[in-house]
Amino acid sequence: MADLVDSMLDLMRRLPPTHVEENVAALVAMCPDYADDLLGSVDQPLKVLTDRATGKDYLACDYNRDGDSYRSPWSNEYDPPLEDGTVPSPKLRKLEITANEAFDTYREMYYEGGVSSVFLWDLDDGGFAGVVLLKKALSPASPTEPAGSWDSIHVFEAAERGRQAHYKLTSTIMLQMVDRNAPAAPAKEGEQVDAKREGEVSLSGSMTRQTEQDWPLQDQTSHITNTGRMIEEMEIKMRNLLQEVYFGKTRDVVFDLRSIDDLEKARRQRELQKELVGFIKR
Amino acid sequence: MNPAGRIQAASKFLLQSPPGEINDVLNDVRNIISDDDSLQTGVLPALREYNLAQFITADVPGHQHQETSDAEHVEPDEESEAFRSALETASLSYLSAHYHDGVTSIFPSPGSSTSFIVQIVANKYNPSNFWSGRWRSEYVIDLDAKQIQGKIFLSVHYYEQGNVQLSTSHIISLALPPAITAPGGASSASKVLALIEAEEGKYQASLNDVYAEMGEKTFKGLRRALPMTRSKLDWDKVLGYKLGAELTSSKGVFGTS
Repeated sequence: MADLVDSMLDLMRRLPPTHVEENVAALVAMCPDYADDLLGSVDQPLKVLTDRATGKDYLACDYNRDGDSYRSPWSNEYDPPLEDGTVPSPKLRKLEITANEAFDTYREMYYEGGVSSVFLWDLDDGGFAGVVLLKKALSPASPTEPAGSWDSIHVFEAAERGRQAHYKLTSTIMLQMVDRNAPAAPAKEGEQVDAKREGEVSLSGSMTRQTEQDWPLQDQTSHITNTGRMIEEMEIKMRNLLQEVYFGKTRDVVFDLRSIDDLEKARRQRELQKELVGFIKR
Repeated sequence: MNPAGRIQAASKFLLQSPPGEINDVLNDVRNIISDDDSLQTGVLPALREYNLAQFITADVPGHQHQETSDAEHVEPDEESEAFRSALETASLSYLSAHYHDGVTSIFPSPGSSTSFIVQIVANKYNPSNFWSGRWRSEYVIDLDAKQIQGKIFLSVHYYEQGNVQLSTSHIISLALPPAITAPGGASSASKVLALIEAEEGKYQASLNDVYAEMGEKTFKGLRRALPMTRSKLDWDKVLGYKLGAELTSSKGVFGTS
């Protein structure tokens, strides 16, 4: 019998990405013993919370959760408050503060809006790990305008090796886009007016990529410039990939199912051509 | 969760199966429920619902869970059979003109001899390249009300190192020209299919516009390809700015922590 968690993850790779939250909730209810495995391995859309101390928005995911509380990267406080919530060591917290400021600049440059959060945690072997989160949502003014959301989750592990650091990066981008009513072509003059057409097109999903790289280390802040460059490079690569899959691959499949042009006509033309070629040769 | 709740959750998963992946979803669900007996009887209604909703084609006789049950010979209704069969001929030639692997079924609407249902389904499964797709359309042609009501659904699943799905729905309501009548036979039936052909062609072409709009507006609006400066970030400078800001502000920009 295959591993239960593998089956749950395979299932999540097949079911509609638009329903990931309710499907994960259903699986957790079915197999409560495996809740942690599942919540730790299935990426879900990031929730936006507001830091009560600073009024700044931050992102919530499994990495800044302790029980039912989430830690803000801005004030380092848990909400709802926790007496003994897990926080990074003072040295790592200092790096976390600088990382949050740096990726906030990155967010503004590429997303021109949205929310970012960086969380770091100490590892048992002396190294540390972290997650860089970015989210942007387009909320349309009217239901017929296109809507969408982008969630980036970059999880990394850093291991210092003298004046070098080795980084393992796993990046997931969740992208959803919805277009309502758009296909309804308005009736042209002379065309039948007693026709009604309406619909919805939704493109949604997630893609994950990994990379491992070594970078020089001058001081602690090098970790930010190093992971910054890696994440920037990865997002550029994945944005191209998403563009190819969302707008290229899915469209190709549609046109593989049905052809706008008349296939019979094309077939007949090909036969005619063959006949002509045969005729000329003779 | 009680056993009934588990079966209900399993049924919901099955109904969400992407094209051509119902067996994979069933295998996962089987492993998660790990109670074949209750699963087998419990999810039968969901499997039936899935097969009907997704226009799953049946081989007669079929096999496994996608078989036709209680196959019985139905005496065709004499009154409607002539036009139904004319629609079938026209549908088949429409199918060969526009679908690579399409299947169509035409039957009279239950309890009516002047209303007909045309169903079209086309599937492409390519598991070695991690994608699958399904086009479904259904038209109710009501000769009395002089109306065509249509629905088109598209599902595409791409799952190489990810899970990306296209899901579309489109509904059409059209007036039927008065010249289309049951006694009109083959000529009326091909006029019906010409209307369907025009609608589906228009719809498919409009999808190109939707893709273009999503790419131009939504995708670009979510994340730029490069910053306004048209070059990547200078990370040393990004840190420098922040450190500079920290030094010049007595309170510090990082709050009190």
